[in-house]
Amino acid sequence: MNDMTPPKDERAVALKGLGASRKRVEDVRFTQGKGNYVDDLKLPGMLFGDFVRSPYAHARIKSINSEKAKALPGVVAVLTAADLAPLNLHWMPTLAGDVQMVLADGKVLFQGQEVAFVVANDRYVAADAVELVEVEYEELPVVVDPFKAQAPDAPVLREDLAGKTSGAHGPRRHHNHIFTWEQGDRDATEKVLSSADVVAEEMVYYHRTHPCPLETCGCVASMDKVNGKLTVHGTFQAPHAVRTVASLISGIAEHNIRIISPDIGGGFGNKVGVYPGYICAIVASIVTGKPVKWIEDRMENLMATAFARDYWMKGRISATKDGRITGLSCHVTADHGAFDACADPTKFPAGFFNICTGSYDIPVAHLAVDGVYTNKAPGGVAYRCSFRVTEAAYFIERMIEVLAIKLGMDAAELRTKNFIRKDQFPYQSALGWEYDSGDYHTAWDKALKAVDYAGLRREQADRIADFKAGKTRKLLGIGLTHFTEIVGAGPVKNCDILGLGMFDSCEIRIHPTGSAIARLGTISQGQGHATTFAQILASEIGLPADDITVEEGDTDTAPYGLGTYGSRSTPVAGAATAMAGRKIRAKAQMIAAYLLEVHDDDVEWDIDRFVVKGAPERFKTMKEIAFAAYNQAIPGLEPGLEAVSYYDPPNMTYPFGAYICVMEIDVDTGEHKVRQFYALDDCGTRINPMIIEGQVHGGATEGYAIAMGQEIAYDEIGNVKTGTLMDFFLPTAWETPHYTTDFTVTPSPHHPIGAKGVGESPNVGSVPAFSNAVHDAFRAFGLTQSHMPHDHWRIWKVAHDLGLHG
Amino acid sequence: MEMTDEIRIKAPKARVYEALNDPAVLKAAIPGCESLEQVSDEELEAKVVLKVGPVKATFGGKVTLDRSGAPDSFSLKGEGSGGVAGFAKGGADVELVADGDETILRYAAKAEIGGKIAMLGSRLINSTAQKLAEQFFTNFSARLAS
Repeated sequence: MNDMTPPKDERAVALKGLGASRKRVEDVRFTQGKGNYVDDLKLPGMLFGDFVRSPYAHARIKSINSEKAKALPGVVAVLTAADLAPLNLHWMPTLAGDVQMVLADGKVLFQGQEVAFVVANDRYVAADAVELVEVEYEELPVVVDPFKAQAPDAPVLREDLAGKTSGAHGPRRHHNHIFTWEQGDRDATEKVLSSADVVAEEMVYYHRTHPCPLETCGCVASMDKVNGKLTVHGTFQAPHAVRTVASLISGIAEHNIRIISPDIGGGFGNKVGVYPGYICAIVASIVTGKPVKWIEDRMENLMATAFARDYWMKGRISATKDGRITGLSCHVTADHGAFDACADPTKFPAGFFNICTGSYDIPVAHLAVDGVYTNKAPGGVAYRCSFRVTEAAYFIERMIEVLAIKLGMDAAELRTKNFIRKDQFPYQSALGWEYDSGDYHTAWDKALKAVDYAGLRREQADRIADFKAGKTRKLLGIGLTHFTEIVGAGPVKNCDILGLGMFDSCEIRIHPTGSAIARLGTISQGQGHATTFAQILASEIGLPADDITVEEGDTDTAPYGLGTYGSRSTPVAGAATAMAGRKIRAKAQMIAAYLLEVHDDDVEWDIDRFVVKGAPERFKTMKEIAFAAYNQAIPGLEPGLEAVSYYDPPNMTYPFGAYICVMEIDVDTGEHKVRQFYALDDCGTRINPMIIEGQVHGGATEGYAIAMGQEIAYDEIGNVKTGTLMDFFLPTAWETPHYTTDFTVTPSPHHPIGAKGVGESPNVGSVPAFSNAVHDAFRAFGLTQSHMPHDHWRIWKVAHDLGLHG
Repeated sequence: MEMTDEIRIKAPKARVYEALNDPAVLKAAIPGCESLEQVSDEELEAKVVLKVGPVKATFGGKVTLDRSGAPDSFSLKGEGSGGVAGFAKGGADVELVADGDETILRYAAKAEIGGKIAMLGSRLINSTAQKLAEQFFTNFSARLAS
C-alpha cells in the first residue's frame, strides 16, 4: 500500500491546514438559520425578567412602589436595591477596580440605569409590570461634559466615593476624577517640544460610540436547588472569567457554577463585561428556584450596556524642518461615564493607549490619561480593537496629518521618513512596548503603488483647480493610514483582569479512528474559530481539519481561558492550540517509532505521518498512530492520545497595515462616496485567507460606520439622542463601500506559528483612513481638524465654515 | 426647546384672559387632554396622552398658574411623568394685547423632555412640540370665536 502514497503537496492540501481558504464550518448552521443563540433557549418553567430604568440622567430616588406591579397576575417578584442589599449584591465590582450599582441605590447616575427588576411568567407580563412600578425621582444637576465635570463646583456624581482621595489606579484629585495614568518621560519630552523646529498641536476627539452587536446581551440563569448547581447560558465573551467572578461575588463554589456561551451574534467588546441583568437573573433564579431569562432590547443595549471610545486627546508633536519627528506628547481626558467599567487589563486603566507612538520611530514621548466620571452609561470597552488601540491609532494618524500640514509636506512622505525600519525590530518604543516584528516600508510602498498615489495627488490637484474655477462642486480626499496594533493580551507577568492571568488554553483528544476534538478557553462570536483552530491543528498533527471538532464556551468541559476580545484568540489560544498539537505529535513520534521498530530519533515528521529517515516507504500515518495509541499495548507509554496546553505568551503581537481611502465629497450636501478603499494587512502567518478577508470587510465596515456617522450622543440633560437604529448608524449593504484587500507577511518571531491576529486591525486602521480622507479633501481650503463622526451635516458644516458655500 | 409665536383671536381681551383660566376651555384645547382638574386656586392636575413618533404615553402631572400679571399676561408651569415613557416639563409666558374687539396673543413656551420618549423621538420632538402648541392655540381661538 505504501507505493500509493500521494505526493507531499497533495497530502498537505487534503488536510486544509494553515493557509487554506477553507469554508467556514459554522456557516452550515448560520446560513440556514439554525444557530443556537441564548434567546433560542427555552427551559421548562422559565421566568422572564425586565428592567425598570431611569428616565433621568441624575436624580435621587425618593421612593419605589412596586405594589401595583406585584399585584399584576403573572408577576413573581420585583427586585430593588433594598432586596439585593442583604445579599451584598446591590453593588458589584467592575472590571476596572471600581464598583457599580446593580440596581439603583438611592440615586441614578445615567439615563437607562437599572432601577428595579421585574420577574414574571411571561415576557409581556414582565413588560406590563415594568410600567406599573412607581418611582419617585428628585432631579439633580446633570453633567455630560468631562471637562465641566472637573470644575470645582461640578455636581458630585459618586457620593459613595465621598472622601476617597485614591482609587484603584492611584490618587484622585477631584470628586469626579477617577485616575491619572502616566507613561513615558515628561521632562525629556517637554524639553524636546520646547526647542523643536516645528510643533503641531491639536485636540483630537474620538467620539462615544457603541459596539451594537446584532444580538443584544442576555442570559438564562438556572439554579438547580436539588444539586446546588447554577448554570448560566449567556452572551459571554469570557465564560471562564464570568464563572470565577460569579463565584467570588455570590460565594457559590466555582465547581457549582457552569457558564455556557452558546452561539453569539457578535460581541465586539460589548459582551466582555458583567451587567446588572446577569446578576439580577441569577438572584431571581436562586430566589424562585426557576430558570430566569433576561434579554435586553436594542434601546437598552445602546443606552445601558458598554459603550466605546469617548476620548479627548490633546496632542503635541514636534519635528525638524525636514520632517523628522523628534517628540510626542498626549494628554487624554477619558469620559468613563458613571462607573469605571472599562474592560482593560488591571495594570492598564487606559488600555494599551501607550501604543500611540504608532508605526513611527519617535525618540521621546509622554502620555497622561485622566479618567473622569459623567452622567453617562458606564463602559469603555474595546469595540473591535485591542484595549484603547483604535483611539491611539486614530490619534497618531491624525497628528501625523496635522504635522504634515504644519510642515507643508506630503503626508505619505512624512510617514515614509519616520517609520520604524525593518532592521530596528524588535523595537523598543518610547512609551514602553517592545514591537515584535514589522516591515512598514515594504507594506507602505506596496500600498502607494497599488492605488497609484502620485496619480491620485495629480487628480486631486486638478480637482481643486476645477473647483476653484467653478467647474465642479465635488472635492477629492485621499485618506492615508499606517497603523500598528498591539494585540494578544497577554503575558501574565503584566496582563490580568481582576487578578486573572491572561493566558489561554487548548485541550485536544485524538479519537482512536484518527479524528479529534479540541476545546479552547476562548469563544467565537463570528470569528470562525471552529474553522481556523482546526486548521492550525491540522497542520500540527496531520489530521484533516474536517475531522477535527472545535468546541468552546462550556466551562464544564473547556479548559480555563480568558476568552475572546482584543484580537487575543489567535495570538494566545491559537498558540496554545499549536503547542498542544506539538505535545500530541511528540507522543505520536514515540508510538510511530515503536510500531516501525526504530529509535524515536530515526523517524521524522512528514505532513500527516512519521517516516523512517532515509526510508520514506516505511511510515505510519497519524490515523494509524491514533488507533495504536489506544489499542496496542506499548511498553513504557500510557494508552491514549491527548494533550493540553496553557499558553502564556512571552510578548504581545504587533500586526500592522496600510489603508488608503479615496473619497468624493459633495460640498453642497455634505454627502460622500467612497470611491476606493485599499486595505493591506500584515497579520503575520495567515491561517485562512478567506476568513481574513471577511474579517477585514467586517471590521472596515464598522470603522466606516464609526468614522462617518455612528455615535452615542447625549443632550444637555443626559438624554441619549441615538438610542435606536433610526438614529444610530449601522451600515447596510447599501452604504457599505467596496474593499480591495492585500497583504504582506511578517511573522511574529515569538508565536509558535508566527500568527499575529487580524480581527480588529480593520477597525483600527479604517477609522483614521476614512477620517483622514474627509480632512484631506478640505486640506487645500484650510481645514486642520474636524471631529468625527463625519455625517452629512458635519461635512456640510465644515464646507460652510470654510466659506465654500459662497 | 423654545417656541414663540403670536396669533390673533377674535374675542375681546377680557374674555381671552378668562378662558385661559377656565379648565373646561383648556381641557378642550389641549391636544390629547383626558382630564384637567382644578385642585387649588393656582394648581391644576392634568392627564394628557402624548404621542411622539412611535411612543404614545399618558402623562400625569401638575400645572401651576401665575396670574400676577393679570390682565395683560399670564404664566404657567407644568411637569409630568409618563412612567417608563419618560418625563416632560415646561412652561409658557402668554401676553395679551387688545386690538379693538380682538386680541393678539403672544406666547413664549419652553419644554424639556426626557427618557424613552426623548430617545425614540429625538428627531421628532421639536416638530411635534411646535405642532402641539399650534394645535392648542388653534383649538383655543376656535372655541372663543364660536
